[in-house]
Amino acid sequence: MDRAATLSGTRRRLRLATAIGALLALLGTYVVSTTTRADAAPGVNAIRVAEFPADCPYSHRLPDDPIIFPGLPGASHMHSFFGSTVTNAHTTLPDLVNSTSTCNPRVDTSSYWVPTLYRNDVPVEPTIVTFYYLGEGVRSDIVARTEPIPQGLRIVAGNARATSPDDGSIARWSCLHAGQVPPSKNFVTCPAGTMLESYLDFPQCWNGRDLDSPDHKSHMAYPVNQACPASHPVPVPKLRQVLRYPVSGDPSPLRLASGPGYTMHGDFFNAWPVAEMERRVRDCIRPVIKCGADGRPL
Amino acid sequence: MRAGLAVPSALLATALLLAGCAAAGGSADPSDDRRAPAAASAPPGATTGTPVGGTTAGAFSATDVAWLQLTVAMAERLLPVLDLVPARTRDPAWRGLAAGVADTHRGELSRARRLLADSGAPATNPHEGHDMPGMATAEDLAALRVADGPAFERLVAGHLRAHLGQAVRVARAEQGAGTNPATIALAAAAVREGTAELARLDRLDRPARAP
Repeated sequence: MDRAATLSGTRRRLRLATAIGALLALLGTYVVSTTTRADAAPGVNAIRVAEFPADCPYSHRLPDDPIIFPGLPGASHMHSFFGSTVTNAHTTLPDLVNSTSTCNPRVDTSSYWVPTLYRNDVPVEPTIVTFYYLGEGVRSDIVARTEPIPQGLRIVAGNARATSPDDGSIARWSCLHAGQVPPSKNFVTCPAGTMLESYLDFPQCWNGRDLDSPDHKSHMAYPVNQACPASHPVPVPKLRQVLRYPVSGDPSPLRLASGPGYTMHGDFFNAWPVAEMERRVRDCIRPVIKCGADGRPL
Repeated sequence: MRAGLAVPSALLATALLLAGCAAAGGSADPSDDRRAPAAASAPPGATTGTPVGGTTAGAFSATDVAWLQLTVAMAERLLPVLDLVPARTRDPAWRGLAAGVADTHRGELSRARRLLADSGAPATNPHEGHDMPGMATAEDLAALRVADGPAFERLVAGHLRAHLGQAVRVARAEQGAGTNPATIALAAAAVREGTAELARLDRLDRPARAP
């Protein structure tokens, strides 16, 4: 009994030590490489993070939403669009495929949009806009069989209709270069010289059938216990939207076109060329390798 | 580019936060709002003009369904504003206008709900609790409840003008981009009636400038 307890205690300490060691290794790698989640595996030169990015600066603003209000210009609150330069209420997949884009890489003519941020009723656009495609949130064996996001897939994340911070809002506000400020579902006060930033993760489990659904949500799901649920069995890369706004200080003059900070949401209409998306999933996500915007290992 | 925060402590905080978020509902319940599961799935590629279902003559496009849902949501938001009018002003002209607009909108609301049922779209209001352009907010409604007389009339005029202007704008869009004939006909009626109501409103309350 005592012996068992001692053994179990030792094991616990060992586990703790291992965890701390792993954490230190992780932080060390982080500091050296300034990457985020480098769980560096020994003997591999590549950075072991399943990731490829698209940097897509602000393109334009319209009170349109081709997913929620297709064909109805002016029906929506104001949106800020990134990526494709042509998106409006009437936009379809061929429009996006044939459009130009603000993204690096240029081949990503997808459209991404969010409610416009206002400070004292004046629009403020993010100056750093990155969409990360990640192999995380599911078990490693599932990451290894990630499927490309099908062209034409539409995904909505966050809750534009949230009536309180606890009302299903998954977006987070934080400060770039000010990690001491705890992330929050609502706007945070960022120290002078730092930037207000918004993080939002999109659902990454697809039902394998529909590119959209009547409620624009039910064809996609978040993982459950690190796996895609049976109803949504197809794992695709997790889209993480990161927006950095040139804003710091008192957040009280801030609002989103959709309401308070916790109404932050994001819409994605995938128009990546099929071959470009497939290559990145094959070369970056499945083998867990951090790639640049060109889809090549860093 | 970095995917994370700038310092390790923030990284930890984010990791913990994400874990907490997953436990709190992000993972456990994918329908992280009050929406009911969809009754029907859109076919791949469904978008403007693509039928999404329907049993009446003329399939419903995504545009038809979106306009019907918006019309229901907007009418449901306007009616409580109009219901305040008889108690807050004695002016028969204002009372008459409010009663007329409320009648029109009750009719539109029931036609829109019937068409939505025909379309097979989810019966739940996808815009519930969401402040859309032209909608009076909960704060607006609270302000209306404590105003009366000419101050109340000015507030009502502002909300009515914003609502009718937006309703006519999106109904025109549905007329141009919709598919289902009955829905397009309802949109045409909404444009006609909304335009007439805006003219009545302008006779009662001259707009100082665009809202």
